Amino acid sequence: MLILGIETATQQVSVAIGGHEGVLGMFEVSRGRRHAETLIPAVEFLCAQADVQIDEFGAIAVDIGPGLFTGMRVGLAAGKAMAQALRIPMIGISSLDLLAFPLRHADRTIAAVIDARKGELFYAFYKPVPGGVQRVTEPVVGRAADLAADLMARGQNVVCVGDGALRYREEIAGGAACDFAEQFLAHPSAAPLVQLAHARALREEWVNPWEIQPLYLRAPDAQINWSTRESAR
Amino acid sequence: MSGITVDDRTLVLGIETSCDETAAALVMGGYDIVSSAVSTQVDLHAEFGGVVPEIASRAHLDLLNPMIARAIVEAGVGEERIDAVACTVGPGLIGALLVGVSAAKALALTWGVPFVGVNHMEAHLYAAFLEDPTLEFPLVVLLVSGGHTMLIEMQDHGRYRLLGQTIDDAAGEAFDKVARFLGLGYPGGPAIDREALQGDPEAIAFPRAMLHDGLDFSFSGLKTSVMNHVRKHPDVSAADVAASFQAAVVDVLVAKARRAAEAVGARGLVLGGGVAANSLLRERFLSVCTEGGIRGFLPSREMCTDNAAMIAAAGWHRLRADGPTALDAGAYPNLRLPLLP
Ligand SMILES: [Zn+2]
Repeated sequence: MLILGIETATQQVSVAIGGHEGVLGMFEVSRGRRHAETLIPAVEFLCAQADVQIDEFGAIAVDIGPGLFTGMRVGLAAGKAMAQALRIPMIGISSLDLLAFPLRHADRTIAAVIDARKGELFYAFYKPVPGGVQRVTEPVVGRAADLAADLMARGQNVVCVGDGALRYREEIAGGAACDFAEQFLAHPSAAPLVQLAHARALREEWVNPWEIQPLYLRAPDAQINWSTRESAR
Repeated sequence: MSGITVDDRTLVLGIETSCDETAAALVMGGYDIVSSAVSTQVDLHAEFGGVVPEIASRAHLDLLNPMIARAIVEAGVGEERIDAVACTVGPGLIGALLVGVSAAKALALTWGVPFVGVNHMEAHLYAAFLEDPTLEFPLVVLLVSGGHTMLIEMQDHGRYRLLGQTIDDAAGEAFDKVARFLGLGYPGGPAIDREALQGDPEAIAFPRAMLHDGLDFSFSGLKTSVMNHVRKHPDVSAADVAASFQAAVVDVLVAKARRAAEAVGARGLVLGGGVAANSLLRERFLSVCTEGGIRGFLPSREMCTDNAAMIAAAGWHRLRADGPTALDAGAYPNLRLPLLP
């Protein structure tokens, strides 16, 4: 089965096509932050180059966050619309799982850390297991100091990965035993997304497009917008 | 995709997510509403007394797929009959717009049909055509909503001239703020409308700003005098304040609309936008049209408030005039109506 993977939860736009042969093609751009502009042309380009017709997809995988809300919704809205039109199921995978997965061969605990803006981070801990990683804590939102305290409490060497880890490197490392994964692993990518999704598809662990839910982890900021409001009745 | 024929059999799916209504509709040939599904989020925002952008965006993501499904099911046609997907690209709330735009472009790519980006204000101008395709140009449209108060001359499809607009608050914004001040709840338009039924519109002589002065509007002074009056007379009847305030807004709107229609020799005067659901405005609008011997057109309340049928209609006209919009289009929160110089 061919799977289209859509990843827009951080500043990167990433699209991949995968199946039982692994990742067949990928498009990724991490500059510009033009998620809505880039995503659909990227899908079109990738399908053309990989010689895949859109109706060949058997499932659509999306990053459900946590991440930047507006970007996340671009991928979710597009993925849900395509799945509904094609009448195929969806597979939602957390951005933190996608960050941790490429470090599955590490010999220690992994902290996946996404920059949540407003001085906060989304993070969770993982441990390597045969064939992948296993999440060992619930994803949370907190400050760099909270993560640093969590790391100290663990008292073991941890490898931190993600744009949040790199941005708050100093605060996180203060006193705790940790290393940092490289910049090229700092954003969740659609390549691990289609790999993880394929494994789930084999177990038929999927949902209908109207059932997929983003992982916001933060309540909406209840600031009212008077100026751009258009449709008062 | 270029070189497509756009005719009276062309079926357009419209999508609208610019503010607090999630909507999808199918319109054939630019005028014929085949189906129209609207889900309003008004209850989600009521406790905040205004639209909260992040709450709106989250709700659009949940509601859009069901609205699209409903529009297609109610139309009783197969998806393969859909010839184009039109969606509001602005103006509106950026996060809200992006949900619709992303879904619309994804559908267009999946079905292999053109995508058309639609200006929400232009779509409001087209709402009247959905109910009366015999309207003739030039038309004057009084567009009143929470974000806009404008008098537009429609010389032809796509040819618009701005005759007047608000220099401060939009009329709908004034309704919301006064309703909030009077503790009448949200949204302000219907709340004032209801309360005013019990009051005397002549009880308080609120100012009619710039009534005899050009075709522009100003509502911020009126809002201030309502607040001053209530502070000075704390035991005043809220119903009288609501009725007198509403009468002051409506007087100015209809007087200027009539004057604008006469100035350009319009063959029709059309009311549009969310505030056009107000009952006093509807009544007075029709009476000034009769007095002035102008052909007035009052769309139904469903067509005045945000809906996707008007998006599909405007999309059909844009597709015919300009062809498809490229798939790398984004959303434009401050998009303006394309005006003639
Ligand atoms: Zn509107």
